Amino acid sequence: MSVSGVRLLLLLACLGGATAQAEPYLAVQMGFKCNQCHVNPTGGGLRTVFGDVFAQTIMPAAHLDTGGDNWDGDLGRYLRTGGDLRFDGQVTRQPGSVSSQEFSLEQARVYLEANVIPDRLIAYVDEQVAPGGALNREGYVLYWSAAHDWYFKAGQMYLPFGLRLQDQTAFIQTATGINMTTPDQGVELGWERGHIDAQLAVTNGTAGGSVTGDGKQYSLNLAWVQSMWRLGAAANYNDQSGGSKRAFGIFGGLHTGPISWLAQAEITDDQSIANDQGKQLATLLEADWLIARGHNLKITDEFLNPNRALPNGEETRWSLVYEWTPIQFAQIRAGFRWNDGIPQDPSEHQRLYFIELHGFF
Amino acid sequence: MRISLNGCCAALLAAAAAGCAGNGDGLNQNGQPIGSGGGSGVVTADLQSIQDNVFTPICSKCHIGASAPEGLQLDSAHSYNLLVDVPSVEQPSLFRVKPGDPDDSYMVRKIEGLSSIVGGQMPLGETPLPQATIDAIRQWIINGAPNSQASTAAAAAAVFAVLGTTPANASTAAAPLRRIVVAFTQELDATLVNDSTVLVERIVPAARAAASTGARATALARTSEAAPEVTQRIPAAALLAEHNPAVLLITPATPLQPGVYRISLRGSGGGALANLAADTLGVDVSWVFTVTEAAP
Repeated sequence: MSVSGVRLLLLLACLGGATAQAEPYLAVQMGFKCNQCHVNPTGGGLRTVFGDVFAQTIMPAAHLDTGGDNWDGDLGRYLRTGGDLRFDGQVTRQPGSVSSQEFSLEQARVYLEANVIPDRLIAYVDEQVAPGGALNREGYVLYWSAAHDWYFKAGQMYLPFGLRLQDQTAFIQTATGINMTTPDQGVELGWERGHIDAQLAVTNGTAGGSVTGDGKQYSLNLAWVQSMWRLGAAANYNDQSGGSKRAFGIFGGLHTGPISWLAQAEITDDQSIANDQGKQLATLLEADWLIARGHNLKITDEFLNPNRALPNGEETRWSLVYEWTPIQFAQIRAGFRWNDGIPQDPSEHQRLYFIELHGFF
Repeated sequence: MRISLNGCCAALLAAAAAGCAGNGDGLNQNGQPIGSGGGSGVVTADLQSIQDNVFTPICSKCHIGASAPEGLQLDSAHSYNLLVDVPSVEQPSLFRVKPGDPDDSYMVRKIEGLSSIVGGQMPLGETPLPQATIDAIRQWIINGAPNSQASTAAAAAAVFAVLGTTPANASTAAAPLRRIVVAFTQELDATLVNDSTVLVERIVPAARAAASTGARATALARTSEAAPEVTQRIPAAALLAEHNPAVLLITPATPLQPGVYRISLRGSGGGALANLAADTLGVDVSWVFTVTEAAP
């Protein structure tokens, strides 16, 4: 290993001894909260200096020596930046349909953080710049207490609710409608003292749509984080004129040797949907096996009951994904997703094979 | 210990895998009870077919409920009222569906993945819709985007309520603002749309209003500690959208210039806004927005 690599590792050790990054399984593996590696205390988006160092040292199979120049996101004394780019090639097969094959730029995002008062007050923007035109995902002001044990956030943000997965199509992400495609505008109060990782958000509840009436959305996320395990609960209540929506979930993580386990179960009751069709149950079980440095095998099992008032309509989804991070800031992901559902709906029997290039900094 | 924990977790994962998908007994293609309507697999140029084969099985996996992305719910109870003649959130200059004009309908641009869209092609993260399906949707729009599922939607809508407005509450819009759009969950009774049920007001600072000599201003009784509001009524015409009677179009006599405005809908009391079944909103609805100078 080069001198600079050793220096980075030493810096990492000084910062905390281990690490975590974008995916919650790594946070579980390392026993950290999301804010260890992300500027956003609830995860996702711009990485902290710690996260950037991790991405260059611990995460890749090999570290390309860049001499004394190591990326830490700094543009100057007060500005930091970062980004993510995902480019996919995928094949989809569905009974009764012609297979589709395509390359697509799934997402390119740029993050900017202005440290107006270093370590205390930041302004943050998460902008999706491709595909299509620019789309603001997050934009907020965040105030940290002096001890970094609580914070206040105001602006447009992702809502806190359980595990924040990279896969936005996971059943536990779509059943609640709370994911990284549906940011909302409002305020959030976070409590990060000791083993507690808690957030309470009050937002418009329209996921970017028009606001009518005085109804608001309340999101509560509470987790107890230990080095080997974590356990949490989440609740969401969206009071809208067309009918309210409630969601409750429990989630957890466990670290056993090279394997990290994630689990979440949630129920929803959306009264804005007629005929009780808003009563859903979604679960996720995930195992991430860190085979070797830079090599991770992810197995995911998902279950969805799209209507708890109606039997025989359940759906399942299996995923097997291999993640290889050969060098810093570059990852190749390949895998397949296997859907199963009611026989009469071909769309619930899709087979997706994909390979993805993920660049991040 | 490690092995046993791993073993337990693996057993749990395997047990979960044993949980099977539903056998579909008693359900149609969309997972709804047989007899409640369902897709045939062949999409034709009418909304019922598009709903059954596209919106319900594909789009409404995400676009449903109170937290639907961009406020766009595409279940059968809401899809028409939130699509036709309703401005897009991502590109407000375009209607989501503009009857007769698929090229200028933002929904078509989104499912075709044109470079002019904001965000990703729909369905997000899924295989694009087959060209035959897109062609059927285009033809439906060319035909004037008729509401072939009106009775179904009206029956399915949970309550008569306001679905969305443009401009939205507490939002800003560039001057001159020529029109305000209100989408409801069900069709309105057009005979109840008048000056007493739809009100457009400009909110002006009390001091300025007092100095004004020509304005017909009315001080509102307010119990809050804030400075008293003074409002100026703005003449406006309110009509139901030609192709979508669940959408109310409010057109000020003169386009709105920079200022703060409030729209009020009377939803209670005699002669209140109601649907075709005479169900009123139950409460009065109002929202405030700001019109700003257009960017140079």
